[in-house]
Amino acid sequence: MIDWSILWQAPNGRTLLEALLLTFQIAAISWGLSLISGIGIGLLREAPIAALRVVGTVYVEIFRNIPLLVQLFFVYFIFPRILPGFAKQALFDYGWEVAASIITLSLYSSAKIAELVRSGFNTIGAGLRMAAASSGLTWWQSQRHIFLNLLLRTITPGLASEFVTIFKGSSLAMAVGVAETTYVTRQLGTETFQWLPVNVYASAVYLFCAWAIAGVMLLVEKRVAVPGRIGG
Amino acid sequence: MLSALVRYNVTLTLLAVAIALPIACAGAFARLSRIRWIALTMRVYVNTLRSMPLVMVMFWVYMIAPMISGRSLSAYWSALIALTCFEVAYFTEIVRSGVQSISSNQFAAAVATGLSRFQAARYVVIPQALQRMLPALLTQSLIAFQDSTISSIIGVPEMLQETTIINAREQAPVHYYVLLALTFLVTCYGTSLVVRYVESRMRLGVHARKS
Repeated sequence: MIDWSILWQAPNGRTLLEALLLTFQIAAISWGLSLISGIGIGLLREAPIAALRVVGTVYVEIFRNIPLLVQLFFVYFIFPRILPGFAKQALFDYGWEVAASIITLSLYSSAKIAELVRSGFNTIGAGLRMAAASSGLTWWQSQRHIFLNLLLRTITPGLASEFVTIFKGSSLAMAVGVAETTYVTRQLGTETFQWLPVNVYASAVYLFCAWAIAGVMLLVEKRVAVPGRIGG
Repeated sequence: MLSALVRYNVTLTLLAVAIALPIACAGAFARLSRIRWIALTMRVYVNTLRSMPLVMVMFWVYMIAPMISGRSLSAYWSALIALTCFEVAYFTEIVRSGVQSISSNQFAAAVATGLSRFQAARYVVIPQALQRMLPALLTQSLIAFQDSTISSIIGVPEMLQETTIINAREQAPVHYYVLLALTFLVTCYGTSLVVRYVESRMRLGVHARKS
């Protein structure tokens, strides 16, 4: 028998809600971190010093070409080994699996955001760059006052879909035992054998997030669109 | 470890891509269909699958398959079906944008010469569109290859799973996980270089024909 009530029965409703909250927390924090580091690395790839550009490129290629799940296991198992014994113990006592998931998602997405930043730079165009340089601005000044603003507005749609990707990616945190939505619904399924309700619930969470973000983005995009550009 | 990569990750990816591509071509035309409900169905399929994590899709296949066939499906087949369904959604979008990038005048001209709509699509639009979307398709296939590691969650003994098992026995995570990460880094980066080469060659080709 299919019993939908297991989704809100006494302890389950609360557990699912906490799991949902954790999913959102992981996704939001990772998105924020990867946004900052992604823009930084994207700027590195456009830097006037060749060595910095190489660092940026190597970073992007490493984190883009290793599967997210492999990165997660890598961070989860290898990073604590650098630390001395007591710190390692503390790490595992205080929810290292959540931190490891956030770190991994941030590393992975920042590489993708850096690529986004680079393609954003390309659309801004050489003309504007030369104009900025010829008006006497230094490289940093022109980035700060002219390009960053335009850039953020150009890549807004990409940043939104990256959030959806991170949200979906957070489901992989279940592999190291983070009690987020996918993990908790799995557990509930094995306890109750009510696979249909738990699968419907978990899928609905991801679908709803994707739709909500698409909806919000439609509004935001209109506000921040650069006038005169196609789709703006 | 490496044999697991070839036996599971590589075969999963190649099979999923090979099955998904023809379906996606049909799917793209379904999505562009003039018949409203066909287009809508395909759009819902694509958007739903693209909003879901691959693990969820695998769980769904794992759950639904026994309901249909009456017996449970092995982890490998579940992963293959899930990955294929998943890639169909992504490929459909790539093929659709490729098809739409071909001027509609060409289609009209082809129909005007007496080809049927199907023939015009088959002989005029698809060959050109395929060439244009080749880099995107290859890149997506690389992502599918990376995603094949997710099948470890439902218990396919692929490379990540194998590494975890070996590591549990040998207790040398640095060795094994570095080897695992390097394997993917080398194969994926290497393939992406090939993709870039194909892309640059194609750009040259287009350029040469124009001049």
